[in-house]
Amino acid sequence: MSITTGLLKKSWWRFRNTGRILREQSPFKVFFVTIFALGFEIGLYFLFLDGFRFIDQLGGAGRLILNHLFALFFMGMGAMLVMSGIVTGYSTIFRSDEIPFLMTHPFTVSRIVVYKYYRSAVYASWSFGFVVIPFVAAYAYFLELGPLFAVWTLLFSLPFLLLCAGVGSVIVLLLVRWSPTGRALKWLCAAIPLVVALLVWSLWQDAYDPDADVQFTLSKLIPGLRPATNKMVPSWWVATGILSLTRGDVLRGGMYWLLLASTTATLIMLVEWVGSATFVTSWRRVVGSVRRSRHAPVLFPFAERMLRGIGADVRAVALKDVRIFFRDPTQWSQALIFFGLLALYFANLRNFRYHALPDAWRNTITFLNVFSVSAVVCSLGSRFVYPQLSLEGQGFWVIGLSPVKMSRVVRAKFALAVIALLPISTALMLLSGAMLRADWPVRLLAVGLAACISLAVSGLSIGLGAIFLDLRSRNPAAIVSSFGGTLNLVLSLAFMLLTIVPFGLLFHVRINGLIGATGLARSVAVATTWTLALTAITTTLPLRLGARSLAQRDY
Amino acid sequence: MISVKNLSKHYGSLVAVDDLTLEVPKGELFCFLGPNGAGKTTTIKLMTGLLRPRTGTIRICDIDIVQDPVTAKLKMGYIPDMPYLYDRLTTTEFFRFTGEIYNLSHDLVEAQLEEQFNTFSLNDYRNVLVKDLSHGLRQRLVYAATFLHDPEVLFIDEPLVGLDPYTIRLIKDLLIERTRSGMTIFLTTHILALAEDVADRIGIIMKGKVVALGPLEQLTAEAGGKDLEEVFLKLTAEQYEQPERQPGRHEVTKSM
Repeated sequence: MSITTGLLKKSWWRFRNTGRILREQSPFKVFFVTIFALGFEIGLYFLFLDGFRFIDQLGGAGRLILNHLFALFFMGMGAMLVMSGIVTGYSTIFRSDEIPFLMTHPFTVSRIVVYKYYRSAVYASWSFGFVVIPFVAAYAYFLELGPLFAVWTLLFSLPFLLLCAGVGSVIVLLLVRWSPTGRALKWLCAAIPLVVALLVWSLWQDAYDPDADVQFTLSKLIPGLRPATNKMVPSWWVATGILSLTRGDVLRGGMYWLLLASTTATLIMLVEWVGSATFVTSWRRVVGSVRRSRHAPVLFPFAERMLRGIGADVRAVALKDVRIFFRDPTQWSQALIFFGLLALYFANLRNFRYHALPDAWRNTITFLNVFSVSAVVCSLGSRFVYPQLSLEGQGFWVIGLSPVKMSRVVRAKFALAVIALLPISTALMLLSGAMLRADWPVRLLAVGLAACISLAVSGLSIGLGAIFLDLRSRNPAAIVSSFGGTLNLVLSLAFMLLTIVPFGLLFHVRINGLIGATGLARSVAVATTWTLALTAITTTLPLRLGARSLAQRDY
Repeated sequence: MISVKNLSKHYGSLVAVDDLTLEVPKGELFCFLGPNGAGKTTTIKLMTGLLRPRTGTIRICDIDIVQDPVTAKLKMGYIPDMPYLYDRLTTTEFFRFTGEIYNLSHDLVEAQLEEQFNTFSLNDYRNVLVKDLSHGLRQRLVYAATFLHDPEVLFIDEPLVGLDPYTIRLIKDLLIERTRSGMTIFLTTHILALAEDVADRIGIIMKGKVVALGPLEQLTAEAGGKDLEEVFLKLTAEQYEQPERQPGRHEVTKSM
């Protein structure tokens, strides 16, 4: 028996036992999650299919886009996988409780790093399947590519996933080893917004280039088209290889697969080499970075002063949560990625020349952006707000024994979630409206909807987090993927649809001239009342039920 | 068996271990005592290769843990105070997994499985997932798995935390029996009675420095205490003494 066999066997046993744990779960929960996953996949399939049909209707340009869409899709997925690889790489390679166990057993450093890299690749890419399956199915159906297309996609996906996760792991290994600390880190943090601002400004300037030709405009219209069709980019090898094999060009397809596989193998060697050279020092730097400072560490000193007006108990709970959140890089980095990508997209809207479109289109795009912001708010609510109470974990006895009423704890958590989500979501909607030069009523509507969704998602996530409290789990991902977490995401998305769709329908009938100005005003008033009432119920009811559940609970 | 020379470890300006030199011969049960934050756990982490020393050398069975960590780890075992276990493995799967990472033969692992599970009364929990075990049962499993590859040197950090009287007795007897058969054991504890019961020699560390070293009788004679508790309190009193507060820049001294 070898050490590698031991690790592989252990992984298999864990996987098998997960099935056993699932069988012990409530059948209703398993049924609910399965139905939701299937519904999600089928919904995505039809969404992609509709998208392809829409693009195809554009004529020549549409056909051109469709031909490049596969490469574009893999490039986008690759970028997300690398980012995901960085986040999961950090938590899997450096923050895992398993590392001290492995370090005190006879494993070489390179073996530990490579083993952790494989695990990180699995964690970073499990959701890839959820997106790739409906996309590939819709693409193959639309272009009549045949069932082998799925097989070739799988064949190319495996090395591609390892490649992207490998890039993420190498970045993490280098960053942790040589990232600045102390004063240098503060300077770096101060410089990042400046660099981002300069980047946005330069892109803005670029948007007014009068010499743009047709091809340039197409690549501007479809962001990433140029790099996606660059023959040096691995995502291009994946797309071209799959399409070549599907069309029977085995040699060309095989060459691209070998190119991808050999690049991935080289990268794995690089992970092993960088890991061997840096891991031990970096890991000790991460876990042993206890330093005695003459100054007490202070995070947001102004926050304590600002919150003086509220009760000391609520302030204490709120400040504790803020400190814990910002001292855990895996938490704040994910939030930064979520909102950072959206901010970058909105700041770039003029580069896509959407502001030059007719009024109806600009307003529609503004309204569609409410969807993207709301979806991100729902994801953040599920990922960060829902597990807040459960993450108190074994430390909950501190709050449980204190004279703080549970309803106040729930309210403090809710207020904190609103303070975090509301300014960002409304600011993003204002940015989107400004970049698109949308009409003011549309901008106000978009901001109002973002505010309602932020409130409701905060209430729902905190309330359900209290009802489905899990104090045993320390892993946020496990809490998020539990029954309560899934239910929270489903209800948040349902709320989003129930509030946005009525306004969407109004837009639709207005654009098609099916309703007059008076009728529109009345309908908007009805839709607004509906949204406000639904927001009030969705915000307050779960909070009340959650507080009651906490008060009646045994600890 | 364990040879430590001029070992030191700093965390910024904090000196966790300060020029520590120590020899623990084969078959000795060595107890390392000290107040909270004295440097016990840091020392044990340095010896097991979890931390890298700033200066000094550590040799386990004559193998330098920094130069050749894998060979050294094959000869030792480590039981931390809160050991990591794979929650989604059953007890037998975890045991077999441990056997495989030490490259032990299948037959040996199966034979040891029977023996260790009998010793630690784990037979009723063979198919139970680790996540469903109580703290005491998890500790018993860790001991069973650690003894599987028959380490020549065993490091234990706080061996009796959260255990019931039966398991405490079991582990104490086992540690004594193992040292008699040649195993070298280095353990840290706050339970002074345990040190009195089982230790061949005792070391007391304070602020990273060894302030007392020797058999119990020698320590009591030298420090002038009637038992280990008195010796310990006498030698470590300095750690708990509050320094006299000097008026700071922001403090106002009342004038008489």
